[in-house]
Amino acid sequence: MATLTVDNITYTYAPGSPFEQHAIRQVSLETVPGELVGVIGHTGSGKSTLVQHLNGLLRPMEGRILLDGADIWAEPKKIRDVRFRVGMVFQYPEHQLFEDTIYKDIAFGPKNMGLDEAEIDRRVRAAAAYVGLDEALLEKSPFDLSGGEKRRAAIAGVMAMEPEILILDEPTAGLDPRGRETVLAMIEEYRRSRGTTVLLVTHSMEDVARVADRVLVMNGGRVAMLDTVEKVFSRAEELEEIGLSIPAVTKTLLLLRRQGIPVDTSVYTVEQAVQQLLPLLGGDGVC
Amino acid sequence: MLSDITIGQYFPGNSLLHRLDPRMKLTLTLLFIVVVFLPQNWFGLLAVVAFLGGILALSHLPVKLLWRSIKPVLFLVAFTSVLNMLYVSGEGEPLLAFWVIKIYPEGIATAVFISIRIVCLIAGSSLLTYTTTPTALTDAMEYLLSPLKVVKVNAHELAMMMTIALRFIPTLMEETDKIMSAQKARGADLESGGLMQRVRALIPILIPLFVSSFRRAYELAMAMECRCYQGGEGRTRMKRLQTARRDWVALAVYVAVVVALIGLNILFGSSLK
Repeated sequence: MATLTVDNITYTYAPGSPFEQHAIRQVSLETVPGELVGVIGHTGSGKSTLVQHLNGLLRPMEGRILLDGADIWAEPKKIRDVRFRVGMVFQYPEHQLFEDTIYKDIAFGPKNMGLDEAEIDRRVRAAAAYVGLDEALLEKSPFDLSGGEKRRAAIAGVMAMEPEILILDEPTAGLDPRGRETVLAMIEEYRRSRGTTVLLVTHSMEDVARVADRVLVMNGGRVAMLDTVEKVFSRAEELEEIGLSIPAVTKTLLLLRRQGIPVDTSVYTVEQAVQQLLPLLGGDGVC
Repeated sequence: MLSDITIGQYFPGNSLLHRLDPRMKLTLTLLFIVVVFLPQNWFGLLAVVAFLGGILALSHLPVKLLWRSIKPVLFLVAFTSVLNMLYVSGEGEPLLAFWVIKIYPEGIATAVFISIRIVCLIAGSSLLTYTTTPTALTDAMEYLLSPLKVVKVNAHELAMMMTIALRFIPTLMEETDKIMSAQKARGADLESGGLMQRVRALIPILIPLFVSSFRRAYELAMAMECRCYQGGEGRTRMKRLQTARRDWVALAVYVAVVVALIGLNILFGSSLK
């Protein structure tokens, strides 16, 4: 599996005009094959701009992006090949469905890769299975599906390219709790079975806590933190200063510690919190 | 790539021109067109140029901006100049005679005269959009068209349609950009191939764009109905247009200019062929 290296990139919108705006500044990052990185930050923190660099949709003004050590912009004409290796699911991907059947829409990416019919068919069916779309749905029009199904079909369209690195920009935005759960679970399943590196852009700390190995916190176009989930959440005060809400469990423990109760605040799931609190209550069993 | 298309040309400022009532500005712009076409001789034209120069100075707009609006019509200017030079004949000897082409001094004079006229026209009328926000402009249009109610033209609806269209242009641009990026991420090739191939490559962009425009339209209609929108009947405004003394002074100046130009025409006669 591939390694993606972001080497000190800077990108400015509308340079030289009165509207000039630094979107990201001196951002560096290196992915470990197979890991899931949660990219988190405020609106306007530069997280979406950053991920659009990773598959060559934006070209950095300074710095380089390396895929397995090779600069992706070495040959600008071949940038399409990079996009097949680094798959990107945009926000509200269901708004980009356009074919008359789900099958054809999922096949759009693989077709652009120039694969043969049999391979396209295999990939479409495999991707549909990953996202839990019934075979019967494949021949339906995208516009006849429910919101959640559309979202999953659209994600399948990128998964079918079988990228080595998969980037998802807010894949759970606008979904109900069950929909979120389904989407997160299928991303995890896809990663587990294929060993794909995943970058998950989100503003939900709960999502990050659930699935991420590492967290990249963006603030004002710069990398504020890049560390394991535990270490990032243990810096809860800093996160709050940036204006990011930490998981409710972590917040509770943080308040307890402020009152002088000795608890570890790097905790982010209910189970871990129980482990912390039970001894303090003097009991050792579940009440 | 789409962000460099400018919509509406409003250039923020606080000059006298910016502060004029948009209804008056619209009326004065129409009057300005009359002013530009009135002069029949060089004295009149000179007066128009001076008058325009005065307005431009009042607007505090950068000259570069005006150049931007004149540039697209330069072709038209060149085209009419050539035609005038070829077709206007004079009494004396032609300056240049070659095959069927005869160019007279009168032809050149007319060409210059008309070129100046066109440039003045464009520069003067572009001032309106430079100094007025699109919303103020639609408000003004609604007001000025409202007498047409008698012939069943609903000025309010027309103005509302325009306002909504203007409001959604940037939104749809952004949407287009996003859809293009998303399809490019799936390997859509928008930059190469022949004409047919390029047209076909637009399908994955146009269909989602249409779908989302309809979705937005339904949502907007629903939101407007939820807020009991029922057209212009009995509707009041948050920002009411108000004429001040400066508006009437401006009108008086324009009328004076029109009268003066008519006077110059009578005094010096026509020098146009």
